[in-house]
Amino acid sequence: MSYLKRSPWVIHYDGTSCNGCDIEVLASLAPRYDLERLGVINTGNPKHADIFLITGSMNDQNREVVQNIYEQMPDPKVVVAIGICATSGGIFSECYNVLGGVNKVLPVDIYVPGCAARPESIIDGVEKALKILEDKKHKLVAMGLGTEILAIEPANIEDAAEILALQKLAYQSEAELYNDFAFPPLMQTLSELKEDFKTIIFFKAVMNGIIIGSVRGYVKDDTCYIYRRIVHPIYQNLGIGKKLMNEIEFHFGFASRFEVFTGHKSKRNINFYERLGYRMFKCEKVNDKRHRVYMEKFADRI
Amino acid sequence: MKIFISIIAYITLAPFLGAILAGVDRKITARMQGRVGPPILQPFYDVLKLMEKESLVVRKSQNFYVVFFLIFIIFTGTLFFSGKDLLLVIFALTLAEIFFVLGGYKASSPYSIIGSQRALIQMMAYEPIIILAAVGMYMVTKSFYITDIISYDKPLFYFLPGLLFAFIYILPMKFSKSPFDLAYSHHAHQELVKGMTTEFSGRSLAMIEVAHWYENILMLGFVGLFFANNILIGVALTLSIYFLIIIIDNTFARVKWEMALMSSWIVGLLFGLGNIIFLFFVLR
Ligand code: SF4
Repeated sequence: MSYLKRSPWVIHYDGTSCNGCDIEVLASLAPRYDLERLGVINTGNPKHADIFLITGSMNDQNREVVQNIYEQMPDPKVVVAIGICATSGGIFSECYNVLGGVNKVLPVDIYVPGCAARPESIIDGVEKALKILEDKKHKLVAMGLGTEILAIEPANIEDAAEILALQKLAYQSEAELYNDFAFPPLMQTLSELKEDFKTIIFFKAVMNGIIIGSVRGYVKDDTCYIYRRIVHPIYQNLGIGKKLMNEIEFHFGFASRFEVFTGHKSKRNINFYERLGYRMFKCEKVNDKRHRVYMEKFADRI
Repeated sequence: MKIFISIIAYITLAPFLGAILAGVDRKITARMQGRVGPPILQPFYDVLKLMEKESLVVRKSQNFYVVFFLIFIIFTGTLFFSGKDLLLVIFALTLAEIFFVLGGYKASSPYSIIGSQRALIQMMAYEPIIILAAVGMYMVTKSFYITDIISYDKPLFYFLPGLLFAFIYILPMKFSKSPFDLAYSHHAHQELVKGMTTEFSGRSLAMIEVAHWYENILMLGFVGLFFANNILIGVALTLSIYFLIIIIDNTFARVKWEMALMSSWIVGLLFGLGNIIFLFFVLR
């Protein structure tokens, strides 16, 4: 059995808010509600934390802070957004500097409603977060042991909605990186995506009946264009992206040249493609915020 | 053979006792604050959870130091509980602490470095008193061997009340409790995040916790030397001193490092050295 449930250590961050929820989080740790009886410790140190409690909305300044805290937390970890501000921006949502809820920056696992969220509901949220924490642990272990079977197969038009949802989730971090929330993958609508299915081949990575990754591509003039390789944030760094790439390259094995592109700041993507044998050949400006790096690979190099 | 049994008993039982002690400590603290508090076995859950977590490291060598911290604490404890030389125990314990401090420095985050610096200051503060305690015990029993010290027929604190007081004064440093939880504390987020352990996570943090369990039992054993002639009364008095430390922990705020250093030296000089000078004339 897993002990994650018995000893959840939290870290608490307050974004743009009225401090109402902030105080309620502390109230739930104080004697009257005493979260510590469930083993909760307020650590104040991301490296010791399992649960990230965020109150208040995100703005341009705290975005980086929140991202930084999240990245310093060791896996498995969960994010709990507390209060309406953290859920959607709440009363601050129309401020010029407010981006919206926490989900604009991080993948949120639990939303606790309320303005202010009451300590009872915060405790309930933490309880629910514990279940997710265990699930994530099981997934990590299962992936490590290879007991969960990953299937890579062609996708069809019925998968469009699921792939679109995944695409929006997976591209959050990219949009975040460039501070460009009008990113085409985020703006795509379901009907546009369905239209794509007529001309483009889609592959999906399925685990336990759920699509956790996808990639698409087409061939034109003997060149295979591969793009939008997406993997669910929980399953990143587990080699799924590489399996998707291998599958689609194999499928279009008749093409003599393969081409991919990514953003100039996405160092991890560039490294990833370089490991797969791609080389950079041009860089193009898309808009003020973003350049596109094109990478290619020739078939005889495979 | 007897030595062998006590070594095995220490290595296997000390972490359990230490963890239960820490659990009881948290429970009592919670009750003192009007809370329900976590279950007694909470420290076990914490460590078992930490074993399940990913271990993030800044530099690989930081974990190396933590491993040596654990090994030397266990080594010191076995020396102590197998009745070896008290001075050797003290020096081995210092060495173990130094490994921990080096680990804190190696992690090179501002918080862990501040924690390590403060740990060094605390060592400067408590080390004289610990050595004076050993000297006092030697003067009474004419031996540094723990087997001889515990077989002395009268309780040592009859002769060493001042040293016992000084020793209790510096105990919060060893247990990292208020008012001397400068280097590493569960309660000082705003000030130093988590002090020396800031950059440790997962397995290495679990190792540090386990080492602290061993260390706490060792320190309580040291306190027990003052009452060693009767085991039952000795254990009872030692535990009540631990309870006293918990009360102090909950009553006092954290002091500045100058205060910690100065006050423990003054207490050490007045009560520790005073006690020894007194003994010198009485026992002559
Ligand atoms: S949800 Fe309401 S109470 Fe909570 S921080 Fe926002 S405005 Fe304040």
